[in-house]
Amino acid sequence: MIDSLYIAWRYICYNRFKSATLLICVTLIVSLPIALNVLLYESETQLMSRAAGTPLVIGQRGSALDLVMNTLYFDNEAPEPIPMAACEEIRDSDLALPIPVYARFQARDNPIVGTTLDYFEFRGLTLGQGRMLTMLGECVLGASVAERLGLGPGDSLVSSPESLFDLAGIYPLKMRVVGVFQKSHTADDLAVFVDIKTAWVIQGLGHGHQDVTRLQDPSLVLKRSDSSVAATAKLYHYTEITEETVGSFHFHGDLADYPITAVIAVPCDAKSGTILRGRYTEAGEKLQIVVPEEVIDGLLQQIFRIKSVLDAVIGVVATATVLALILVFVLSLRIRQREFYTTFKIGGSRLTIARLIAAEMLLIATGSSILCVMASIATALHADYLVRMLFIR
Amino acid sequence: MKGLLIAIGVAAAVLLFPGSIPRSLASDRLNICVVNYPLKYFAERIGGDHVSVILPIPRDVDPAYWTPDVATIAALQKADLIFLNGAGYAGWVDKVSLPLSRVVNTSKAFSDRYLTSKAEVTHSHGPTGEHTHENLAFTTWLDFDLAARQAEAVATALSRKNPAYKEMFTQNFQPLKDELKSLDAAMSRAASRAPETPLIASHPVYDYLVHRYRLNLKSVHWEPHEFPRPKQWLELQEHLTTHPATCMIWESQPLAEIEEKLHTLGLKCVVFDPCGNVPEAGDFLTVMQQNAENLRAVFK
Repeated sequence: MIDSLYIAWRYICYNRFKSATLLICVTLIVSLPIALNVLLYESETQLMSRAAGTPLVIGQRGSALDLVMNTLYFDNEAPEPIPMAACEEIRDSDLALPIPVYARFQARDNPIVGTTLDYFEFRGLTLGQGRMLTMLGECVLGASVAERLGLGPGDSLVSSPESLFDLAGIYPLKMRVVGVFQKSHTADDLAVFVDIKTAWVIQGLGHGHQDVTRLQDPSLVLKRSDSSVAATAKLYHYTEITEETVGSFHFHGDLADYPITAVIAVPCDAKSGTILRGRYTEAGEKLQIVVPEEVIDGLLQQIFRIKSVLDAVIGVVATATVLALILVFVLSLRIRQREFYTTFKIGGSRLTIARLIAAEMLLIATGSSILCVMASIATALHADYLVRMLFIR
Repeated sequence: MKGLLIAIGVAAAVLLFPGSIPRSLASDRLNICVVNYPLKYFAERIGGDHVSVILPIPRDVDPAYWTPDVATIAALQKADLIFLNGAGYAGWVDKVSLPLSRVVNTSKAFSDRYLTSKAEVTHSHGPTGEHTHENLAFTTWLDFDLAARQAEAVATALSRKNPAYKEMFTQNFQPLKDELKSLDAAMSRAASRAPETPLIASHPVYDYLVHRYRLNLKSVHWEPHEFPRPKQWLELQEHLTTHPATCMIWESQPLAEIEEKLHTLGLKCVVFDPCGNVPEAGDFLTVMQQNAENLRAVFK
């Protein structure tokens, strides 16, 4: 048997391109459904674990999926904003712990998430470096963001303008990085966290500028009376919040009217959760309350429906490929007739020829199996990253 | 003998396995942070031995204008409850990160009764157009009815945080409420004797006092430890022409030379300490009772 395997191995080495093609075809046919299953299982696990860990989400009426994807995974598509008062109402109801989320802005293609310290406690995020947010204008980075951008405590990060062509728009804010979270293997690793009030400063709702009542430069004042000062566009707005400028930062109006994209509600108990959900079911209600687990489950149902179609397509393609391979193999046997005849002439029996062909097939199958196992292990090892790249982000 | 053995056993367990100490045996005191002295007083009166209240502000600083450093904010973030006064008091609150779930605005229930201190200069710049930095009056506790409601908010928050002692917190709150109500009644009675009596205040911090007890009071902006500039004396004299007050209310005893000069203008100095920070002597109630006594003398 060893001699048959040796001759088969020499044949494979001599016809390396043909053998490699065969090897790749067999490997792909087998490993593709395995990889797909691994990725789908991982995406289901990831999506469901985060969704299951987020009891309720309240946001503007509209697409529940957009709301959940933005709140849980900081997806680019921000839902319509709701007022901060929605968060206060839940707090006043004593039914749940409300955590505001404002995920609308970006910094170097990473989502900026405005929230409160309760969010970090709720998600169990722990600091790897630096300290927690304390002042306006500070940010704490998710582990992957810090790694990718090469940033750490003491560095700074500038928020990205929403539109490049909005020349009269809001100045980007230079944020101070004060900490980096430990890796959590969730979407939190990919976010830049700021206090909700810092997010409002990024939006321009809170701002810091020279004291208009003490302006001496006439080119800065458009009109002045006892009760009013109109400043020109030359008025200097601070683009960084430092210990010197923080005092000049202020918000206009009632903070309860300020926008957020969603509220994560953590009910005190099941009964409180049910009562809270009941409050958002009235016809005229502008807000919706969703159970992320149900929304993500619905999404997964869709994915699995697509998966069964994909499975069928892969099945058909695999059958066609196997048939093509058989055809190629049969044709190659005909081409190799002279070779078999020579073997026969030098004393090799029909059984020897059959053993040679079987050894070649065995070697190809073994090679494919090894590659399949390697591909599956690689997919499983990187499933977490691949799922985020392919499905979540 | 049996009790002694149990005590030794507990002590040994505590020494050997400190992590295993039940919370009730170790310490179930709530760590409370407050932004001014009235709230500290309310929390201590209501919480008793079950709270440890911290006012992280030096005694010589007005808590309304104090700003914490990073280390203090980090300490504040670890508190079980953070009691805010609300009504724009302690502007630093809007500039720091605090855990929303543990922050209690003690005046939120009566936010519709907030008073605007004085219209600031309206200004406009950029695309947002004209806007005013509204200046809310923040010494809400000088209206003793509102002070009682703030104390109630403190009691409610403590009960929610530690329901095991709800009954005790309620019991502690009741006498405090009664004392504040009687102070409120005493002030109302005193002010009603001569409601039109014109008064001058050295600092614009008495809005809630004026509103609640219908005082006829105008404010200037003087400091008790700084001799006023000539312009400020002129401003006062202008006020006196239309508002013939014979009494000027101060946050603390003014300099002797200020008092002397005011005397020549026919003004007597009366101290009404808003008690924003820990008083040198007494407590919130005794200071307020003294304040009420001082004012009662004015209305005689």
